[in-house]
Amino acid sequence: MEANTRRVDAQVGRRNNWIVYVVLIAGVIFVFIPIIWLVSTSLKQEFQYNIYPPKLIPDVFVWENYEKALTMAPFLRYFKNSVVLSTLYATLNVISSSIAGYAFARLHAPGKNALFGILIGTIMVPWVVLGIPQFIVFSKIGLVNSYWPWVIWGVSGSAWHIFLFRQFFMGFPRELEEAAEVDGCTRLRIFLQIVLPNALPVVATSFIFSFQWVWGDWVTALLYLNDNLTTLPVVLAGTIYVDSQVNAIVTITMAAVVLYALPLVIVFFIGQRYILQGVVTSGLKG
Amino acid sequence: MTTRASQRRWMDTRSGREAAAFYLFISPWLIGFLVLTIGIVIVGLLITFSNYDGLMPLEQVKLWGLRNYERLATDSKLPNVLLNTLWFTLVAVPLGITVQLGLAILLNRKGLRGKGIFRTLFYIPSIMPLVAVVIAFQILFDKNTGLVNAVLSLVVPGTAINWRLGDNIRWVLIMLSVWASLGSGMVIFLAGLQGIPQELKEAARIDGANGLQVFRRITLPLLSPVIFFQLIIGIIFSMQVLMQPLLLSAATSGYGGRSANLSLQPVASIYMWNNHAVYEIFGNGRYGYGVILLWIMFIFVAVLAFIIFRTSRYWVFYDNE
Repeated sequence: MEANTRRVDAQVGRRNNWIVYVVLIAGVIFVFIPIIWLVSTSLKQEFQYNIYPPKLIPDVFVWENYEKALTMAPFLRYFKNSVVLSTLYATLNVISSSIAGYAFARLHAPGKNALFGILIGTIMVPWVVLGIPQFIVFSKIGLVNSYWPWVIWGVSGSAWHIFLFRQFFMGFPRELEEAAEVDGCTRLRIFLQIVLPNALPVVATSFIFSFQWVWGDWVTALLYLNDNLTTLPVVLAGTIYVDSQVNAIVTITMAAVVLYALPLVIVFFIGQRYILQGVVTSGLKG
Repeated sequence: MTTRASQRRWMDTRSGREAAAFYLFISPWLIGFLVLTIGIVIVGLLITFSNYDGLMPLEQVKLWGLRNYERLATDSKLPNVLLNTLWFTLVAVPLGITVQLGLAILLNRKGLRGKGIFRTLFYIPSIMPLVAVVIAFQILFDKNTGLVNAVLSLVVPGTAINWRLGDNIRWVLIMLSVWASLGSGMVIFLAGLQGIPQELKEAARIDGANGLQVFRRITLPLLSPVIFFQLIIGIIFSMQVLMQPLLLSAATSGYGGRSANLSLQPVASIYMWNNHAVYEIFGNGRYGYGVILLWIMFIFVAVLAFIIFRTSRYWVFYDNE
């Protein structure tokens, strides 16, 4: 009886679902319009960008815009800066947050619960409130126009990432660690050589999120970094591609913007599973 | 047993070593917390009582009591920026949650094929860096060359809405914000929906409930903790928005003129509270006053979140009740 009900339900469901498919596909197209328009503009000739009415698909795909995006301005310098800074911060943050998260998950100590409460509390504090006074202090001690602030932030970890690692390590099977303890390894060695190599999913998640944060950050980079050290978003928020009359060239700029966004998209497709899992963890267990 | 001897004994014990390891492992975070959070809070507080203007050397900074606080009463911009910020939050957060929840419900339907692909596709907007998103929306909504006006012209020929005007740019900001957050919100709601046991819904159906009733009586209550959480997060971030109004207002990449920086004042209708705080600091050099404004907003949001949390027991259903 129940099996029959299920089959009927499935058939009814399938009949109604085609409306859902239409809505979803329309939704995807609608949502992708800004991205499509961005890429389309990047492939247009400048005069074509300015004509009215605008076209969705350019007549000719001007791939040279991308070449010019790389050559007409020091795009690669800023790209390199973004890569270096993002990787630097992400690496340090992962190491520091993972070890702290492991401690919260596994080790007992007096005052631990109070400290964990403090940790959770700081997750909710957004950057601006602390960031501006931090900048004032950092500038007074001469740490501006360098990557040192990011080193400091990376080494001191991030509350959300520590929480992420803690949740993961709480569910981590203890047998491996116990065996190593019997063999007489110090806790640090156990962590570095046994636990961390087996925690690849959460390490990947934390690294990707940290990387994405620096890659997309505009305010902090704008505050701290001068031109030769600064990152892509700061530069792209200005006007760097100009023609002979010092007017901005929109199409080449859009090509640069696409090149800027592309690494994050690629990283997303590689690490999708980790990103989506990380988002879910923050939403459901937060 | 002397104290020293017993202390030494504890440090040699397993729990003593474990505690030492704990504090060693969290020391980078703990030191960072004490210096970069607590220490900064104290420094920030001192600044609010001082005349620091960003340029003067430390020796010239003097404390002048509550002078900066008095400005709160005379700043004519404050009511406006507060209203702008409230408007943005009250529109963007419910709209965002509705869209995210709607998408999640659609994707959660039984027997839907390609759920993973849809989920990935809808998530892509959320991974785009914010500067790229703002620039993309700027060219999309360009008065003469943007796609939006072109499409609208198909319906009403000659449409050339200037989306950079105050009344219109607010809506571009709203659309941008909803667009950028719909992916991550949808994923969270989807995970929440998938945590609802199928048996409950089937039992209700057998008892004669239709889809809408199942949704109202079973799905929605069981999903309420997640909705509640998203609501709080949404409010916290929307009230403190800073980047998007600045970037959207600035003449970025192709619009000539002012490029985006922190001493810029956004277009009046999207001039948010934190924009004003930052402007007072970097545009007017009133560091003390600006920090006060930042703290007020943070406290305001924290109190709001606390109130929502406290009243949640009346409308959020946790399944251990």
